Amino acid sequence: MSDPTDNVVPFPSRERGDDRELRAALRDLRSEIDRRFQAAASHERDQTFDWIQLFDELRHRLGTAGVAERSSEVDEFGFDVLTLVRSRVLLDFLVDRYWRVDLQGEAALPADGPVLFVANHSGLFPWDGLVFAQCLQRERPAWQRTRFLVADWLVTLPFAQPLLARFGGVRACRENTDRLLRRGRSVLAFPEGEKGAAKDFRRRYQLQRFGRGGAVRAALECGVPLVPVGIVGAEETHPILFKSRLAGRATGLPFLPVTPTFPLLGPLGLLPLPAKWSIEIGEPLELVGIDACAAQDELYVSRMNEQLRARVRELVARGLERRSSAWT
Amino acid sequence: MRIAITGLGTFLGQHLVQRLQSRKDPPTVVGLDLKRPLRLAGDICFHDIDLTDPVADTRLAEILRAERVEAVVHLAFRRFPSRAIEYDHDLETLGSLHVMSACAAAKVRRLVVQSTTMAYGARPDNPNFLAESHPLRGHPGAHNVQNRVAVEEILRDWSPRHPELELSVLRHCWVMGPSYFDRTVEFFEAQRIPTVLGCDPLLQFVHEEDLLDVFERAAVESHPGVFNVVGRGVVPLSTLLAQAGKRALPVPRGLLYRAAWLASQSASGDPPEGFFDYLRYLWVADGELGWAEFGEPLYTTGEAWSAFVGSRRMRRYR
Repeated sequence: MSDPTDNVVPFPSRERGDDRELRAALRDLRSEIDRRFQAAASHERDQTFDWIQLFDELRHRLGTAGVAERSSEVDEFGFDVLTLVRSRVLLDFLVDRYWRVDLQGEAALPADGPVLFVANHSGLFPWDGLVFAQCLQRERPAWQRTRFLVADWLVTLPFAQPLLARFGGVRACRENTDRLLRRGRSVLAFPEGEKGAAKDFRRRYQLQRFGRGGAVRAALECGVPLVPVGIVGAEETHPILFKSRLAGRATGLPFLPVTPTFPLLGPLGLLPLPAKWSIEIGEPLELVGIDACAAQDELYVSRMNEQLRARVRELVARGLERRSSAWT
Repeated sequence: MRIAITGLGTFLGQHLVQRLQSRKDPPTVVGLDLKRPLRLAGDICFHDIDLTDPVADTRLAEILRAERVEAVVHLAFRRFPSRAIEYDHDLETLGSLHVMSACAAAKVRRLVVQSTTMAYGARPDNPNFLAESHPLRGHPGAHNVQNRVAVEEILRDWSPRHPELELSVLRHCWVMGPSYFDRTVEFFEAQRIPTVLGCDPLLQFVHEEDLLDVFERAAVESHPGVFNVVGRGVVPLSTLLAQAGKRALPVPRGLLYRAAWLASQSASGDPPEGFFDYLRYLWVADGELGWAEFGEPLYTTGEAWSAFVGSRRMRRYR
């Protein structure tokens, strides 16, 4: 991947006098535009209010409401750049003000992607994936946006699937991961899967089992660095007090979570709590002999998987030690 | 070169004949169908044959041998799955079986079979892109899809036993274009389209011209293997409807499946899941292999949809 600043053509230097003339012309142009705008605005004000036009306008807006909200084409995984641009203010607010995310260790990242990130999972909604993708976008603007993998039960949930896809969520499976990595997109995987997202508050930050080594195998086969990430703070956004499987079955979910605010406050209770987050990116895991042959070696994969889990646990523990309180 | 086409009366059959006859070296076309289509361009040898007939394979083999056919394009599948589920099964599954055994008996060199990417099945656990190697899981609620799955299963066992015969299976996704017409197109022609509330799957289409290109090349040249025939790009259902100025009627899943029960039963004899699950889950096929084999398609998914919408725009005012 080339540096985007390579293509920037330097602005030709000008003589002093030229510059002044240019500025004068620009000033004239601005004043002319202002004058015409004001003329148009005053002309509009003179007219009587046109109800029919308003009705037509409203009808037109309603008819095109769907089109205006999204770009006409999404990428092959349903990711929509326009959705992201529109929600950037909200995402920036969440990252900077609400959760005050503290990103560390980004200097150790390789200069260009793709990279397979592996993080601890927490919270009912994949806020951790979204926030990490947003933070990384700022650190490495030249990279393609990092996609985060989403557990199956969220993919089948009505409304959640289209929304997550627009924001860069992809169903967690090997085919998707390989395709993303081969096309130069970094991926954030949560090998804990559903076990990680669904653990209750008593067992917060206790890393669950890391699947069957799918992440290690994907990194080996695609030849990409495997980078552990520790996310601290996401666990407190939706602290699950206990889970009700019976109520969950009625709603079609694997379980119904009970948090301090949900279902007590209704849909309002689904809002995440303002915990203080810190994300630490670790050193890439040393994989000897990166090739597809190593991926066939079951023992090697499971050993690497365990090592990866230890590294993530270490990062999480360090993040927990560093903070004094969950909220400040 | 002599090419036989089963299911001559279908859209694909009729247009494929035109394509083949407008080539620089037009092959001789042998048409096979239940009855002679009304509009039949050029001179083609037509034979009427009923593939559901228990002795159809012997008769077909005789015709193929007499006409010295080198390639068979098998298109005798239903675009409108009918309530006669038994008949559909006889025609699609047993009919294909008859075509296969006739081809083997008449020493045909090449067999091209039409299939569909719907055979992968609309499942929540599908990966975003289904490669040709992905298992065909079908949909229990759509009998025509199940027939295609059965045909492909038979072909998979049958093909290694006949190595001298090169087999191309072309799995195409939903077809859109100015003149193509089938159950799906009929559904999308309405101004108000019922959709499943909260689901907005990514859909892909192939333009009819691209589909015909692929079938023409597969009939004339040698392209053995299984290929997905799809357009480039995917577009969410909601965006498609918004672009076309159609209104989506989102209905909760349970309600939709109950409300559509009667209509669906009377139209295709299947429960509504057989169609609406394809508007609920992802079933996008990976077309890389097909594009590498048959060349880049002319139209993307969005363009195929625009071609369909544009051709229908003025029909309402006629």
